[in-house]
Amino acid sequence: MLFNSLHFLVFFPVVIGLYFALPGRWRAPLLLVSSYYFYLSWKPAYGLLLAATTLLDYFSGVRMSRLASPAQRRPWLYLSLASNLGTLFIFKYFNFFTHTAVELAAALHVPFAAPTLALALPVGVSFYTFQSVAYIVDVYQGKLAAEQHLGRFALFVAFWPQLVAGPIERGGQMLPQLQQPHGFDYGRVASGLRLMAWGMFKKVVIADRLALLANPAFDHPQGFEGPALLVAVAAFTGQIYADFSGYTDLARGAARVLGYNLVLNFRQPYLATSVGDFWRRWHMSLSSWFRDYVYIPLGGSRAGKVRTQLNVFIVFLLSGLWHGASWTFILWGALHGTYLIAESLTAPSRAALAQRLRLPARPGLQRLLSTGTTLALVAYAWIFFRANSLPDALYVAGHLFQGWGRLPTAQLTAALAGLGRHFGAELLVAAIAVALLALSDYRAERGSVARWLAGWPVAGRWAGYAGLLLAILYFGVFGSSQFIYFQF
Amino acid sequence: MLKLVLRLAGLLGVVGLVAGLGLAAGLRAGYVDAFYARFAAPPASSLVLGTSRAAQAIKPGVLAAQLGSRYQGPWLNYAFTLAESPYGPGYLSSIERKLAPGTQHGLFVLAVDPWSLSLPKNVQRDKSLQDYKSRVLNKLDGRIVFPEEKSMVSQLASVSQSPNLDYLAHYLHKPFYQLLLDTDSAHVIERLHPDGWLEIALPPPSTNPALLHRRMAEKLVTYRALAATNTLAVAREVSLQQTITFLQKHGRVVLVRVPTGPEMAALEQHYQPDFDKRLTALATQEKIPYLNYIDQAYPTNDGNHITRGAAEQFSQRLAADIARLAP
Repeated sequence: MLFNSLHFLVFFPVVIGLYFALPGRWRAPLLLVSSYYFYLSWKPAYGLLLAATTLLDYFSGVRMSRLASPAQRRPWLYLSLASNLGTLFIFKYFNFFTHTAVELAAALHVPFAAPTLALALPVGVSFYTFQSVAYIVDVYQGKLAAEQHLGRFALFVAFWPQLVAGPIERGGQMLPQLQQPHGFDYGRVASGLRLMAWGMFKKVVIADRLALLANPAFDHPQGFEGPALLVAVAAFTGQIYADFSGYTDLARGAARVLGYNLVLNFRQPYLATSVGDFWRRWHMSLSSWFRDYVYIPLGGSRAGKVRTQLNVFIVFLLSGLWHGASWTFILWGALHGTYLIAESLTAPSRAALAQRLRLPARPGLQRLLSTGTTLALVAYAWIFFRANSLPDALYVAGHLFQGWGRLPTAQLTAALAGLGRHFGAELLVAAIAVALLALSDYRAERGSVARWLAGWPVAGRWAGYAGLLLAILYFGVFGSSQFIYFQF
Repeated sequence: MLKLVLRLAGLLGVVGLVAGLGLAAGLRAGYVDAFYARFAAPPASSLVLGTSRAAQAIKPGVLAAQLGSRYQGPWLNYAFTLAESPYGPGYLSSIERKLAPGTQHGLFVLAVDPWSLSLPKNVQRDKSLQDYKSRVLNKLDGRIVFPEEKSMVSQLASVSQSPNLDYLAHYLHKPFYQLLLDTDSAHVIERLHPDGWLEIALPPPSTNPALLHRRMAEKLVTYRALAATNTLAVAREVSLQQTITFLQKHGRVVLVRVPTGPEMAALEQHYQPDFDKRLTALATQEKIPYLNYIDQAYPTNDGNHITRGAAEQFSQRLAADIARLAP
């Protein structure tokens, strides 16, 4: 079930209505049942997989909680990790690795054949397996008490607002909330609904409109060069942020209505002043997961400079692979890893240059330059994330700066073709919507948007809500467009 | 809680009112798309069926003017596109929903061509557990999955509602505000008339032969690819037969092969040389006429669909030919 579907438009009020109408003790069971319904609406078989891995993780956690030494707990840790990562490997990576092995063997003229699995990728598998892995590692390390209640643990894994695309929650953050009573609170529910409306606006008005600009060039890049490719890259840069942060707002808003706080996943990432800063603001629940469960176990920054850079690079390679079983994602991760290493190695010389240019005396200009450079680097890397294949990605990356010598009328016309007959109006809508998003991020950077909104007169605030809903209805691009991160 | 419910009701009421007024204005003055009017029209007793070739070539208004005294109205062109309405179970269900209840003397023009009776050579088969019993009973290698099963025509339950909110909610592929911009018919190339005829308002081919040649070339490339991957399918012929059987209970059925460009006709002849023979045999078996206009020369917009001017002439000719048929 998609958040931007009619199905959800029925599901949500029914679940919320029942949730607050039922006595407190029935609310968690209702959430569990509705979470499985939410998940099964994609493909019932996926539910079996979710239930099986949940059971195994639950029993591994319970068993570990009864064993004193790490050595005794270790088999259960390995069993759970094998189950989660094995599931992920079989469904997501098996074909990629066998295909790569076959190609490598062919290049080396070594006879080698490997089977292909005809398995569809279960929705959200990368998210809920990572959430379970974090839980089981925390229990193994003794940082978290194992959840003894099967229903509560199953709800922790399957909680519908964040089941299919995060945020990736931690047991320590989420499990205590599942034990607390959640009554109706006007302010909290209204705030959750506001966040959901804003998330929907970002998805259907901004992301899906920018997709119309990005898709033609990314789907058939060979017909485009310079200006048109730049439009597509810029559009995708906006699209992916509006799409994923829009989904996260919907997830966090829905959870807030129910009384749960999900972790912050985005903190104005395009206002970051360095690539390192970007990763502290973008998909924060995944970044912190990789920090805690890969980077630090690898030694983090404790084992010397070279090893630290290597650890960073490994983390970003794995992050790329997590996003998709394709060389384009791996290259995207590698590019970000390279950015971060370069950023770290050039820090002293960049600081010296800034001093020579007297930039610290002009902090506004310095910030603008840092933010602009970071955004350009991040946008360039998105090429590898969005391209349908490695040759396509290399074509776009290589031709981005070609074809600027002549009037780009034909190229731009082709680039705008995706917007249809009313491309002028569509561009205007896109520009206004993106400006609103930028304004909101700018406000959030200076303080809480909710507090800023609270300062408005009541009539103005409600007129704003009505305007937001009408904008969604009038300017939304509806269809069967999925959220980009559902594929991961 | 009551406070929030009341405030939300007020907010949604205002939003609903403004959206409803906008929708009403947009539907009244604007243009939705190349399909909507057919689903907003009331149930019809006489139908033109087929794909885009029939949608653009046959004007129900012309048929009604000449044949209205012999056949029951309302008349509607209920032909869509090759992707949406080839003969199959989905299209038949939609036709059943669209046909006015109590129709006894309707006229049903079924446009046929090799493409609308074809399926991909590697057609998908449903081998799911749910279908296991049917497979064993019928000794089939899985149920054929018609490519259009998930299409709008197959899926849309409400086909005669105005406004058709079901359609607008699921299949309107442009932002809502554009309904209000598409009010100037003079600047719209495609216009679906209330009787279901799809008018393509391009300049006559003679004014820009180069553009016509480009469109023809593109169309031929598409159909050559189709010819390479598709084949005439028994399952489609069975569906056509079922459609005929159903409609015969409600009036007269006429099979028509709509004219097209000479290159396209040649491609079809090469693709399925026996097509006319098979259709003639089917018509004989079902005791219905088969009117074949494939060799008739009419100007086209793209080598496939005849022009709006030619549609008027062709519809006159078709009406006259149907009028001449034995009662």
